[in-house]
Amino acid sequence: MELELKVNNRNAIVKEVKREGNILTLSVDDELYEIDIVKVSNQEFSILYQGRSFNVEVIENKEPKHFHVNTLYFKFDVEVLDNESRYRQSRMQSKQVLNDNTIRSPMPGKVVRVFVKPGDIVEAGQPLIVLSAMKMESEFKAGQRGIVKEVPVKEGETVDNDQLLVVIDDIKEK
Amino acid sequence: MEQKPIKKVLVANRGEIAIRIMRSCREMGIDTVAVFSDADRTAMHVRYANEAYNIGPAPSSESYLSMEKIIATAKLSGADAIHPGYGFLSENSKFARRCREEGLLFIGPSPESIEMMGDKISARKKMIAAGVPVVPGTTEKVTSEAEAARYIKEIGLPVMIKASAGGGGKGMRLVKKESQIASSLRAARSEAKTAFGDDALYIEKYVDSPHHIEFQILSDKYGNTVHLFERECSVQRRHQKVVEETPSPIMTPEIRERMGAYAVAAANACQYEGAGTIEFIVDDKLNFYFLEMNTRLQVEHPITERVVGVDLVKEQIRIAEGFELPFKQEDLKQSGHAIECRIYAEDTDNNFMPNPGTITHITEPFGFGVRCDGYVYEGYTIPIYYDSLISKLIVWGRTREDAIERMRRALYEYKITGIKTTIRFLERIMDTPDFRNGQYNTHFIEKNSDFLLADGICDRKCEDMAMIATFAQYISRLEDSKKANAAPSAKKETNWKRQLRKFTSRI
Repeated sequence: MELELKVNNRNAIVKEVKREGNILTLSVDDELYEIDIVKVSNQEFSILYQGRSFNVEVIENKEPKHFHVNTLYFKFDVEVLDNESRYRQSRMQSKQVLNDNTIRSPMPGKVVRVFVKPGDIVEAGQPLIVLSAMKMESEFKAGQRGIVKEVPVKEGETVDNDQLLVVIDDIKEK
Repeated sequence: MEQKPIKKVLVANRGEIAIRIMRSCREMGIDTVAVFSDADRTAMHVRYANEAYNIGPAPSSESYLSMEKIIATAKLSGADAIHPGYGFLSENSKFARRCREEGLLFIGPSPESIEMMGDKISARKKMIAAGVPVVPGTTEKVTSEAEAARYIKEIGLPVMIKASAGGGGKGMRLVKKESQIASSLRAARSEAKTAFGDDALYIEKYVDSPHHIEFQILSDKYGNTVHLFERECSVQRRHQKVVEETPSPIMTPEIRERMGAYAVAAANACQYEGAGTIEFIVDDKLNFYFLEMNTRLQVEHPITERVVGVDLVKEQIRIAEGFELPFKQEDLKQSGHAIECRIYAEDTDNNFMPNPGTITHITEPFGFGVRCDGYVYEGYTIPIYYDSLISKLIVWGRTREDAIERMRRALYEYKITGIKTTIRFLERIMDTPDFRNGQYNTHFIEKNSDFLLADGICDRKCEDMAMIATFAQYISRLEDSKKANAAPSAKKETNWKRQLRKFTSRI
């Protein structure tokens, strides 16, 4: 079995070479590992490698194929890359090139004030919307000059993490 | 005075403090009543209490701050006392008065004491009258810019402009230059008006390299007051405490005795009853000045409990019941060293932005000298309406060095997954030389921010292990789902079922 994984800025191919009971031999790119690995609970593994003991928690993130991984000293975000996620990634990148002027909520919260409506022309630095979360209010400003295309939320509405708040189009200069 | 044992306590709070209070109540055989907003239906304090009642929609103003709803719930449940915790209504004299009017025991000081100490200007005046050293400053509220300029000339720059009705770092402005006076006054006044509804200001000399050291006191209804020594709270970020410890590494026995005596005098000056805290500001030469009094139990009270061996919530309840304090000042001693780290759901890489969300996994630290006061659990979603404190990690060690190493160990063991927390930031604090040497003041976090926010360097093997474990987990999940999707085998009819059908068809 072989998988491509991504951790921090590194992509690597992990491939199972041999398994005998607990002893698993596998390669991470061109590095060969012979380890003793046992699943000790629903989301935890005990790995022994050259005498070193690693207790690793692998917890599913809400996005499929994304995992939070904890070792004693560090935390990692690991993604299993397959064709589906590679496709999604390339689509997201192309979208960003076309239009960088969307405001998305960085955390769950409540819309306190909306300053603009579709059709308004905004300048860089102009306040667009205020979100409240955990007793803190955050104001979001336009990144560059543009024309408000959409404001899919309204004052008083509760929003999720990464929810679309304001969409701004570039103004087509004559 | 007679003793009136309390049978049922309504805890007018939520989160970790609500559970902490209920634990002591359980030990005393007192029934507990939880109140919860719509956002807190699945909160731990609701699940822990004997009884629980909904008091309204999520926003605090419509639930946890609603005095009448809380009092009505107390009556409905037959509670004879209300414990307000910290924050919310704990220092609201109007609420304390309403409880008294309704025949409910407010576990805390009288409305009069709360008012006296809640108004910072009147508190300063009271302390001066009691002979307690205060930060040089005004004793009347400042009404005009001209007046402010005059006072500032007398006191000498730099000064702090503060809100009289204030607290928690709001409505405060540091003024270093004459040119800043007018704008700082305006800003402080407007912030005070918004946050506290009262724009009265006073001015204090700004103490350089300040240490924030506070003393815990307990007073009973018979005029007995003791202090339970100090807490060093100078590790702060934007005036919010992050790490507290006791004993203070800069304290000497002689200064401790003097400050303790003043703390007791301060409590007596306002006929205090219950648990309270006197906050002092201390400079590098160990000159100390009264800053303010908090007429409630504080977040960091567990470190005092650990080092003195006293359950402060139980003492609060016994004082409210009319019992005399079971100890005298000479009975109290500090033993060993305790440190508390507050764990917030904040993204330290993103300016400490609050990070509510769902907890997907928790591993808590255990072992000798470790106490974890929290309220979150696996699967719980932290609501966005309240503050982001999710737990307190308190450790004890025989020496300060032991305590620091134990805190490091416990922080590494503490894994909360699904949201971002300040745990890693706290680990870095334990590694910072200034903290380890005990040479720090309230500028500590600012001064060391580069070190504190630096990433750890993990070795490649460790990264590979993370990938290997993920590989194993992914495969394990694939195998699980294959088994679940396997075609179910044809159900074999059992004799028992056949007999049952024969039997039922006969009816």
